[in-house]
Amino acid sequence: MKWWPLYGLKKKWTERRTYESPVAVGRIPGSRFRRSLFVYVIDVGSSNALNFEIDALEAPQYNIHRFGIYMTDSPRHADVLLILGRPVKAMISPLRETIDQIPRPFGIIILDDCTDNPVGLNDTELLNVIAEVKGVPDPSQLLGMLLECLRVNGK
Amino acid sequence: MNILIGVLQKEENEYLVVLKEGKACLVASESETTGKEYLNYQILKEHNLLIKGEPVSGYGVFRFRYGPVTSGLREAGSFSLYTYGEKILHTTIDLNWKHRQMEQSMTGQKPDDAVKLSEKVCSNFAVSHSVACSLALENALGIRANTLVRNWRTLLMEAERVYNHLHVIYKLASAAAQKVLASHLGALFEESLRINKALSGSRYLMGINQINHINNLPALDTIRKTIKDYQGIIFQFEKLYKHSLSNPNFLDRLHHAGMLSREQASSLGLSRPSLRACGLEDNLNGATGEHLIALPVVTQQEGDALARMETRAEELVNSCQYLIDHLKVSDIWEGYNVADMAVKPEGEGLGISHSPSGAVGYYVVIKNNRVSYLRMFTPSYPGMHAVSEALKDQVFTDFPFVYDSFGVHFTDAAC
Amino acid sequence: MIQAEFWLAVILFLLGAFLASYRKVTYILAFSASLLVLLMGVAGFTFSGIFWKYTLLPGISLSLGIDRLSGVFLVMAAVVWIALALYSLDYSRLYPHKSLAAGFNVGLLGMLWILTARDGLTLMIGWEVMTVAAFVMMLASGKYFQQSFRFLAFGEFSFIFLLVGFAAMYISSGSIAFENIQTGGMLFMVFVSLGFIIKMDIVPFHGWMSGIYGEIPDTAAAILSAPVTLMGVYGLERIIPAIPNNEAWSLVLIVLGAVSAFWGGLQAVAANKVRLLPAYSTIENNGMILTAIGFYAIAKGSRDPGLHYLSLFAQAASLVLALSHTLAKTLLFMSLGHAKEAYNVHTIDEARGVWSGVGKTPALGIVIAALSFSAFPPLIGFTGEWMILETIFQSYKFPGAATAFFAAISGVLTAMAIGLISFAMIKLIGYTALGYDHGRKSQPMAKTWMRITETSLQLLIVICGIGLPAVILFFGYPELLFGLLGVPKPFALVSGDPLFGIISPTFIAIIMFILLIIPILVFMANRKSIRKVNSWNGGVPLDEQEFFTAQAYSQILEHILRKVYRTREISLGMHRRIEVEDILLRPIKSFTRLVQKLGEGEALVIMNGKISAYVTYILILFVLAFIIGVIVI
Repeated sequence: MKWWPLYGLKKKWTERRTYESPVAVGRIPGSRFRRSLFVYVIDVGSSNALNFEIDALEAPQYNIHRFGIYMTDSPRHADVLLILGRPVKAMISPLRETIDQIPRPFGIIILDDCTDNPVGLNDTELLNVIAEVKGVPDPSQLLGMLLECLRVNGK
Repeated sequence: MNILIGVLQKEENEYLVVLKEGKACLVASESETTGKEYLNYQILKEHNLLIKGEPVSGYGVFRFRYGPVTSGLREAGSFSLYTYGEKILHTTIDLNWKHRQMEQSMTGQKPDDAVKLSEKVCSNFAVSHSVACSLALENALGIRANTLVRNWRTLLMEAERVYNHLHVIYKLASAAAQKVLASHLGALFEESLRINKALSGSRYLMGINQINHINNLPALDTIRKTIKDYQGIIFQFEKLYKHSLSNPNFLDRLHHAGMLSREQASSLGLSRPSLRACGLEDNLNGATGEHLIALPVVTQQEGDALARMETRAEELVNSCQYLIDHLKVSDIWEGYNVADMAVKPEGEGLGISHSPSGAVGYYVVIKNNRVSYLRMFTPSYPGMHAVSEALKDQVFTDFPFVYDSFGVHFTDAAC
Repeated sequence: MIQAEFWLAVILFLLGAFLASYRKVTYILAFSASLLVLLMGVAGFTFSGIFWKYTLLPGISLSLGIDRLSGVFLVMAAVVWIALALYSLDYSRLYPHKSLAAGFNVGLLGMLWILTARDGLTLMIGWEVMTVAAFVMMLASGKYFQQSFRFLAFGEFSFIFLLVGFAAMYISSGSIAFENIQTGGMLFMVFVSLGFIIKMDIVPFHGWMSGIYGEIPDTAAAILSAPVTLMGVYGLERIIPAIPNNEAWSLVLIVLGAVSAFWGGLQAVAANKVRLLPAYSTIENNGMILTAIGFYAIAKGSRDPGLHYLSLFAQAASLVLALSHTLAKTLLFMSLGHAKEAYNVHTIDEARGVWSGVGKTPALGIVIAALSFSAFPPLIGFTGEWMILETIFQSYKFPGAATAFFAAISGVLTAMAIGLISFAMIKLIGYTALGYDHGRKSQPMAKTWMRITETSLQLLIVICGIGLPAVILFFGYPELLFGLLGVPKPFALVSGDPLFGIISPTFIAIIMFILLIIPILVFMANRKSIRKVNSWNGGVPLDEQEFFTAQAYSQILEHILRKVYRTREISLGMHRRIEVEDILLRPIKSFTRLVQKLGEGEALVIMNGKISAYVTYILILFVLAFIIGVIVI
């Protein structure tokens, strides 16, 4: 039996390609996210496809760590909040609390999979929305968006 | 064996949706015998969105709430664990955070739109939901789907089974900190999603299934490539899985985590992998009860997280093989694509399909070509009850193994 | 001069006891008397000798005197008495019973007698007076006679052991004066140490305290914990090292002390009542003191010049530990009493959040006392625990395999004890002192004197820690202070000769201060905007039932060491909890039941529930024993 650290060492999963963003990404005022981007993902009412896409984004084919993109475990370490889905009524107050916990400067990216949840949140109430996507983007599109965010906000 | 998957009210009478030897039927409920015959009757009748809400009292006992916003679960749902220190005494699961009232949104829709919406109930079970929904609608409208549609539905169901089982095993490996194994499984998971896209145009096989119709049938080249890809998946997965089972650390974390006895599993109304892992055989082998060739029923004995993972691993390989064998002959099904039969403007129907985590049921009533009443019965609801049962007297470090091994989702349970 | 101070103090104490109905007067008299005792103690550094003698029988006389050791203990005790007397000015409002004030004064008088005694009989008189006075103090709560009688029974056991010991000394050497201690003999040493050990709460004689501490007023608890056990320490310091060839018995004492320390730490971890935890901490500290005394005794008794430094160091260790324990325990009980009375509760879980709920002073008192017990530098407790560990490390210098073996065992047990008591003290700091107060409101009460005394003791603990050289000089060991490694003489304390270990809490404090100032200045220079948010709990604020409990904190150790704690889970449907047990209390409990059964008949006749009857009974027995002794001679 091969030792785990040597297993699959020869196989190269990471793809070398460019990633396009489906939407333009805005600038976060006061930001200097040059070398890394910490993303906190919150699901407020998605239909689970977006959750699975985030899991797929962490697969070796995309290898997001080489770009300095990391998923955080707490909103207090986050630069960007990724909101999955349109909010269910019960999740509005936890969402507000989460946004309150993020240190400034930060940005919000909304992924809206159009599930018609009862009582959504009016978009203008959220601060610092830098991108909004309708539908379920591919992980390559998501990665493109995050790289665009790094590019726009790194100056 | 008979499995009760739902209780519904129709014109002041109560009916039970029961799977009898794999076939779905609507049975009138009798107050005295039903509770004794089906032990999960009370749970399904109340369909409480707060699962096991009774608190535990005692000196030093407190409630540790995990969720609704936590990066470990990521879905919106909360577990309230009662504990006096390390041991979990009792678990209350709150589904209200994800309750999107899908049944109400699907009511009043045209049948085609209802099928589209059913895919959004839980997108990783999109095919299962849409097949069950379309079967129910077809029954209500008096349509019998043609052979092409039925066969493709079974193939899509198995494709869904493949990527969902890969996802469960990927999650279990990450929870056990088996980084190499998890990375490889993650890569396979992403590969399987790409195969889905090649086969059907959507990574989650959404927008393909319609009432008596399959959209975007793939071309022959695509089918050949897909067959090769599935062969690759079988080869890589078997190598990986055999290697992982040689690691005692990994096995140790899963062994005896979240054990369910046979009595518990059958009394909760579980089906498919969660039930089969306890050693019980349910006769639910077809996507629509009409598999071209029956898939073997894989069972394990222990009823712990390891057993559930083993069941899924074997089912995964069987499903891949099924796909390979039947994709090879899928071009001859073109000849079976007959036109619709006459359509009734109204009626009621029941449809069942078998998602990767259990049976999905839909009951619809159609009036004036619109859905006037719809009930759905998802496998994650009894699955969440099973999670709560299995977490009893476990330690919190075993929590991810118990939860992930059932393969249930808040999106599916709360619908 | 000393004689005048002494008798004046006696008169003031007695007057205070007499005027017990006038609450404030009593305590002011006690305060003044304690002040006189303090002066006496200081005088003892220069003067040494007997200042009063009264001959009863040929060979037996009552004598009072003072020397360096007495002086040191008098000062330590007097500081605490002053603090408690002033504290009681406010505290006694809640317990206005006469018995509390009277017992307080008479108890202090008894202790004064003990510390100035120069022969066995005077010591025993003082001992008995102190025990009975403490018993009287306990009655101030007006209930729980059974546990207070158990305390009295233990007190009488210790008295009986002392009696037998001194009688043995008389038989073998014809005198019971302290200047003739070295002629005492083996029997004398064993019995007298047992008498002192019982008062020090050493395991397995710690049985009387369970059930007591929850109910008695805090000043009584403070007196029982700190000064009373200090008397046991004084007795041992006086007697044991003076006797030659004491190696075997000293080893017994060392092991007993280490086991006590470990057991005290162990049970403190599982303790949930606010006052049971400090009680077990007393057992732990006294265990360490006993171990130190044991090592001092072996080192001194061996008359080996190579062990001379170690004997000085071991004695200094026991004194520093005694000082740190006395100060910190008194402070802890005062602060806990303050918090407990303000909230009007009994368990740690209920008395949470003293900082925000009651006040900063009692909370700071709990924190500093608990840190001192956890050996947090540069407080005095840190020095004491370092010194005992260094003493045990140097036990290889003692000849003999038995010494090495038992010293190793005691080292293991002591180290574990220090770790366990840290764990328990963190529970106090984290939950009681600095925890979330759950919106509890404390009732208003008079607290000026409480605050003053708590603050002064806090300052004293910190100053004694930082000013360790002064403390060592006060104890009379200038040989232990050096100047090494850049630290000027006399700020470094060295543990062995040739050089073994060295600390300097003074410089630790200086460096800590410097390292604190710079970051604070940097922080204040880069002032960014600060935003206060709720604690992050999954997006939803914490409900009342979702707070981590103190019980859950200890449960992990209670589960790991379940064989020792006899941890059991009680589950009745949706009600579940954990129960632990102190198994060393089982013999005491069954013995209590036996005595109860046997004594019921007898009790109807003699112990008819009146205190006066019982006290009379004790005095009659005392006189009888005396007469018998005289007849025997």
